[in-house]
Amino acid sequence: MSARQKLGGMGGNLLAWGYALIILGPMVWILSNSFKRQIDILMGTTIAPITLANYHQIINSRQSHFLWNLWNSAIVSVVSTLLVLIIATVAAFTLARLQPPRWVSFILLGWALVFHMLPTLTFVGSWYVMFTEVGLHGTYTALILAQVVQGLPMALFLMIGFVMNIPKELVQAARLDGCTYPQVFRHLILPLSLGGMAAAGALTFISAWSDFAVALNLSNKDTMTAPVAIATFAQEHQILYGQMAAASMLSMLPALAFIMFGQRFVVRGLLAGAVK
Amino acid sequence: MAHLELQKVAKSYGAVEVIPGVDFEINSGEFLVLVGPSGSGKSTLLKMIAGLEETTSGKILVDGQDITHLDPSARDLAMVFQSYALYPHMTVRDNMSFALRMRGEDPAVIDQRVREAVAMLDLGGLEDRKPGQLSGGQRQRVAMGRCVVRNPKLFLFDEPLSNLDAKLRAQTRIEIRRLHERLKATSIFVTHDQVEAMTMADRIALLKDGKLQQIGSPQDLYLRPRNTFVATFIGTPEMNLLAGRLQMAEGHFHIGGMRLPASAGQQSRLSVACHSGTAVMVGVRPEHFAIVLNTTPGALQVTVNVTEWLGHEIFIFGQSDLGSISVRVPEGLETTPAQGDVLSILPIADRWHVFDAGSSENVLLD
Repeated sequence: MSARQKLGGMGGNLLAWGYALIILGPMVWILSNSFKRQIDILMGTTIAPITLANYHQIINSRQSHFLWNLWNSAIVSVVSTLLVLIIATVAAFTLARLQPPRWVSFILLGWALVFHMLPTLTFVGSWYVMFTEVGLHGTYTALILAQVVQGLPMALFLMIGFVMNIPKELVQAARLDGCTYPQVFRHLILPLSLGGMAAAGALTFISAWSDFAVALNLSNKDTMTAPVAIATFAQEHQILYGQMAAASMLSMLPALAFIMFGQRFVVRGLLAGAVK
Repeated sequence: MAHLELQKVAKSYGAVEVIPGVDFEINSGEFLVLVGPSGSGKSTLLKMIAGLEETTSGKILVDGQDITHLDPSARDLAMVFQSYALYPHMTVRDNMSFALRMRGEDPAVIDQRVREAVAMLDLGGLEDRKPGQLSGGQRQRVAMGRCVVRNPKLFLFDEPLSNLDAKLRAQTRIEIRRLHERLKATSIFVTHDQVEAMTMADRIALLKDGKLQQIGSPQDLYLRPRNTFVATFIGTPEMNLLAGRLQMAEGHFHIGGMRLPASAGQQSRLSVACHSGTAVMVGVRPEHFAIVLNTTPGALQVTVNVTEWLGHEIFIFGQSDLGSISVRVPEGLETTPAQGDVLSILPIADRWHVFDAGSSENVLLD
């Protein structure tokens, strides 16, 4: 290996580590804060006595509803992810293999693209008015529907890529073997796109789990999700940094678990269709 | 086993007409090979019969029943795809039994049929493997097995041998033919390979640009080609087409100075169809030339350019007054002709064809 190549390799490594530091740094900082007393955080002490008081408080205190908020997050994320997966997979099969009229594909994919590109906050105001009008404000239904609308476009694009990778001849063979289209979907497309569904599911779940803007506007005290609850630790007279950090760490766990599980599929999902 | 009839079956994509209208019948138990160059519409025609492509107009009848617009799942036809299209997530056994399970057949019957097919196709011991763990030849046999267990009305083959190497292909050709002799199922086999067509077919249907050029036994197409396309498509190296005007000399027809030896029957048929001076193309297969003494009257002189030695036969490619020409050198020749040698050749009596220069039709057929 020449000196030049060595230098290039080192430069690449440095870049990767620097990038990791930018991501990991704040996380380590929050993690350490979650084990510090409020006074140590405010004083900016780097090495401080470790305390579990913050976790104890958000889990056991009567004033804290954080576990309930986590439960709300779980309901909204899991249900919306399931709905997104079902709709996206069926739609992908229809668009990719059933040859609907061109305008149908055009409108559907165009709609998906627009929703994917515009910032969520653009819609939140209208959704607030709409859901209040029909008496759904503050319900799980409102939160789940909003998350489905948000998560569907990306899942749809991902699933189309995956379903397109299933050879046309397989569908034709199944048709000649006596399958109707619903049976083709059930016996062929579904088992063969499980990898894609894992990828799309992990990404949808994470985005629904960490959503703040929609939940802030559409939830009430009973349906408040974890990210919104974390924000409430910043109160009028004081900011509960320690509890905030502890809550952040707790709410990070499910997303982290999903990433670990879905990583293999997520990378493959994002690259689907890139190379044959 | 079923009888299939196509009545003016046509296909267009928008304004583009791919198949202008094809008529033919396949008898019960017959093995028909649809052959043609790429783009001739043979695969499209097969997919229309299977119901995988819409039929623009015309009728497809199976045993008299019109299935033109029937859903493919209701047609009871089985197809072997070029890519085999085995279900990758199912074992060999599940692949084979899939259609029967979809039909809600009795599990005992399914098991019995799969076991028979496995034995017939020599797939014993592979029943629990997935397609990814099989070789190309094994996959091909599983694809066949998937059709066999169903006992369908029609077998459709869409170039199923093109992914196999030459040796395996020759072997599989024989296996498919033997399977057909045993099952006597009505079969349509699509290929672009004329050797496959010649060796496997009861009858061959030759397509070009969506039009049926000729349908008949392999011998028919080889010995009595309807037009120059059929004549040159069947046989390798292809038939020599020598353009020129017919002349009558010393009681024989000649073309460009080369005599066309003929029996009295052939001579009189040609005299009825043409006269001296008619512009024609004379077709002679490389294997239908005889090497003669250079003093023979009406012999054609060929200067050898290239010699192809294949072991059991020798082809020479050379230049003559009538253009480039290929000749199979008969066995028993003392020395192999070399580049630059001059040979004298003459067609074997009656083993030549005369095509109209304008329409390319064979003028000697009725």
